[in-house]
Amino acid sequence: MPPGGVMPIEKSDLLQGTLDMLILKIVTLGPIHGYGISQRLRQISQDVLLVQQGSLYPALHRLEKRGWLAAEWGESENGRQAKFYRLSAKGKQQLKKEESNWNRLAGAVTSILQTAQ
Amino acid sequence: MPSWKSPFRKLTLDRQYDSELHFHIEKLTEENIARGMTPEEARRRAALEFGGAEQIKEELRDVQRFPILEATLKNFQGAVRFIRKSPSFSIVVILTLALGIGANSAVFSAIDAILLRPLPYPEGDRLMELQQIHQRVQRPQTRLAPLRLEDWNRLNSTFEGITGYYTEDDSETSGILPEKIEVAYVAPRFFQVFGVAPTVGREFNSAEEQFGGPNAVLISYRLWRRRFGADPDVLTKQLRIHEHAWSIVGVLPASFAFPDRDAEIWVPVPPDAPPAQHREWGWYIAIGRLKPGVTVDQARANLETVQAQLGKQYPQTDADLTAGVVPLKETTIGGVRGSLWMLFGAVSLLLLIACTNIVALLLARGAQRQHEISVRLSLGATRFMVVCQLLTESFVLALTGALIGLFVAGEASDVFRGLANELPRVEEIHLDARILLYTLACSVLATLLCGLFPAIRGARGHLSGALAQTSRSQVSARTPLQWFLVGVQVALAVTLLGGAGLLLRSFQALGRVSPGFDPQNVLTLHITGSYGETADLKKLQSRIWRTLENLRALPGVESAATSLFLPGVPFAFQNELTIAEEQTDPNRKIVTETRVVSPSYFAAMRIPILAGELCREDIHSVNVMVNRSFASAYFPRTTPIGHHVREPGNPFLPGGEIRGIAGDAREEGLNREPAPTVYWCLSAPSPDPYYLVRTRTEPTAMAGALRKKIQEIEPARSVFDILLLEEHLNDAFAENRLRTILLTLFSVTAVSLACIGLYGTLSYSVTARRREVGLRLALGALQGQIVKQFLLQGLAVTLLGCLAGWGLAAASSRVLSEMLYGVSPSDAPTLLTVVLLMLLVAALAALMPALRAAHVDPMQVLREE
Repeated sequence: MPPGGVMPIEKSDLLQGTLDMLILKIVTLGPIHGYGISQRLRQISQDVLLVQQGSLYPALHRLEKRGWLAAEWGESENGRQAKFYRLSAKGKQQLKKEESNWNRLAGAVTSILQTAQ
Repeated sequence: MPSWKSPFRKLTLDRQYDSELHFHIEKLTEENIARGMTPEEARRRAALEFGGAEQIKEELRDVQRFPILEATLKNFQGAVRFIRKSPSFSIVVILTLALGIGANSAVFSAIDAILLRPLPYPEGDRLMELQQIHQRVQRPQTRLAPLRLEDWNRLNSTFEGITGYYTEDDSETSGILPEKIEVAYVAPRFFQVFGVAPTVGREFNSAEEQFGGPNAVLISYRLWRRRFGADPDVLTKQLRIHEHAWSIVGVLPASFAFPDRDAEIWVPVPPDAPPAQHREWGWYIAIGRLKPGVTVDQARANLETVQAQLGKQYPQTDADLTAGVVPLKETTIGGVRGSLWMLFGAVSLLLLIACTNIVALLLARGAQRQHEISVRLSLGATRFMVVCQLLTESFVLALTGALIGLFVAGEASDVFRGLANELPRVEEIHLDARILLYTLACSVLATLLCGLFPAIRGARGHLSGALAQTSRSQVSARTPLQWFLVGVQVALAVTLLGGAGLLLRSFQALGRVSPGFDPQNVLTLHITGSYGETADLKKLQSRIWRTLENLRALPGVESAATSLFLPGVPFAFQNELTIAEEQTDPNRKIVTETRVVSPSYFAAMRIPILAGELCREDIHSVNVMVNRSFASAYFPRTTPIGHHVREPGNPFLPGGEIRGIAGDAREEGLNREPAPTVYWCLSAPSPDPYYLVRTRTEPTAMAGALRKKIQEIEPARSVFDILLLEEHLNDAFAENRLRTILLTLFSVTAVSLACIGLYGTLSYSVTARRREVGLRLALGALQGQIVKQFLLQGLAVTLLGCLAGWGLAAASSRVLSEMLYGVSPSDAPTLLTVVLLMLLVAALAALMPALRAAHVDPMQVLREE
């Protein structure tokens, strides 16, 4: 863990919608449990984003409740029971929508920043 | 998933949270061990890194819980805030609903009490009226002889018990003045069959139910309060009836009102009394309690078998008789069913109009709130959540309306009880938990009716588009729908108004008929008499003659007569007669109405004698009069005078000679054409006929003198029910009047609501089109043109609504056809008047907004842009 480079995703820091989008994106890679998601987020963001478990699990359950994630209990790699999440058809659509929204927003922010310079 | 659904579910959810979170901690621990920590250290660090597992679990629970309870609570808070924010809108909606739901609940409370609930006795649905049916006469239901009643009770296998009763108006003479009291004479088992026990004292014992046993009576709760001040020592008291003392053995509960609410004394009739030993004398109306599980049809079949058996055993008296079984509730309710359902239909239409009105209001409101809803949608609310929120608002409005509606219903059912005191079971109407539940159901229904469509429409907005749009363009887009709703209201209002118009017209027609007799200045009264007097008919006859002579001798009295029935009060008593002088011809059926009157009746009622002479009454023979319809129907070429008529199967009435022909009178009801009628001239057909006294002066002023005179000659009898004949005629049509008044009231309310709807929609449209109007005025349009345009728009919708309403009224007039008199259900003048009236009122409602449109200031409107 490189000190100083970690950016924890707190509810207040980043819009909740962003965490949701990130989770959906990670889950597209295949069924995965909560621990795996937090690991992947950290790895892919090269240790920039650190998701607190206190935010991760409520988000997972919320997404499951909205029908964007499907979940089932299965055996993990070391033979223990774990809850695996995977993307539903509805979730796939939602992700597409959120991605395009994000890209638009990001593009807009970037262009504003560039113009302001 | 609602977390409150089951405690087990909560437990398993909790266990799932535990194992999911625990898995994570274990993985972290493994990671730490892999980094070289000792297992204890690794576990400690993992737990530290993971944070408060309990807190996370609580949040997970919240994820499950939040949408159901909390969202509902939030929606309610939002709804209350919304109502507070727009008070005038809310008040209009709440009051409209209060009126609609209140009227509906009030009528439902009457339907519930009168039609739906079982009679107020234990398992009252098992009580049946048993009818003795004489197969050879037109009015077949006859009274049951005590011997036959006992036979039925003994031989049947479907009833727990069969009993019977008859009532008499007697005089109770233990006080200073004789008091008229309705006495019910009851066969054995009466109170067991009803399942009612006295609140004070006991029922009759077997000695009291035997001939020559001690005299015993049960009294009503009311009489106990009135005469004895609810004295618990009442069981030591006595009453005097027919010159005999009767010991009070018990007091019945206040709720017991059978045979009717005026019954005050119940007297046992010993089945072994000598007069009760004749099979041909009818005394009782029989009541039976079905055994559990027995159907009415089974009971009827069983009783028919029993009677067929008796017919073989007693061919002379029982061969022509059969038996009928009808639920006691049906005979109690009588014919009010149709009127009540008609009124319920009318208030339901009223509620529908109210809801339509509110739909229009909510749509207008929704258009104004489009912006707010778009913001909510863009902030992540789902459409379902928005619909829920809007529905909650409607529900809070409807619920508030329903609560106020309950007060309206309470007041309205008081008024109803006052107007409808002639209806059966009306004293049982009150607001209770069932009505509360019904009102609640009404408000839920109203919520869905009023709120669902506007809510779905309201939530349909485009996420980004609506934010950018100006409010004006959306507003005008919604107007056609609102105009459609106005049309619906007008159509429903015209339907109701059409019905009310037809009822009013028939009421008017009824007032215009010439009855053929003169009901003015006639007092009617009763003098108590007992069926025991029929044992000596001569004595009875001379008593009534003496009374009539004394009444006639009073100054101010023009004539006095007796009659078994009141003229003009609906009551049919058909019989088939034969003419003694003619060969029996099976094809010739002489069916007539039967009236039994004193000879003086024709003078007292001013019914003219057209031919022959007035009948005479003497001991040896019976005279009859016939009316003109009888003469022209059965003696078209000859005269009936001098012929003798007989009533086959009536052993008590000898043949009567026709002495004269009287004019046609509407004897069987003002609403019926005169039918062929035979008047049997008998002054004393019963111990207590109606006395009809025609006075020269104001009849009510004579009441005291009449009472005093009768007191003088008959000190042991009491006079009661002194009423004008005209009052009787009014009362006879009380149900008619009730439904006419109520339907008129409902339809006036409906028309007002429709006009409010029209006014509101037009005002709204005027506001929405201010800019356009301003522009046109600025370009030179005349104010008159603007007024005309808006007025015509309102009237065109009204006219379309009227036409639809006419169609609806015509389609639904079948409901009314039974209730109409002298006007056809599709009477064009009535419906045309209704439509014109509606158009006129609508024009008034539309005028104000139209005028306001014309006074738009072009400069100001254009500046607002």
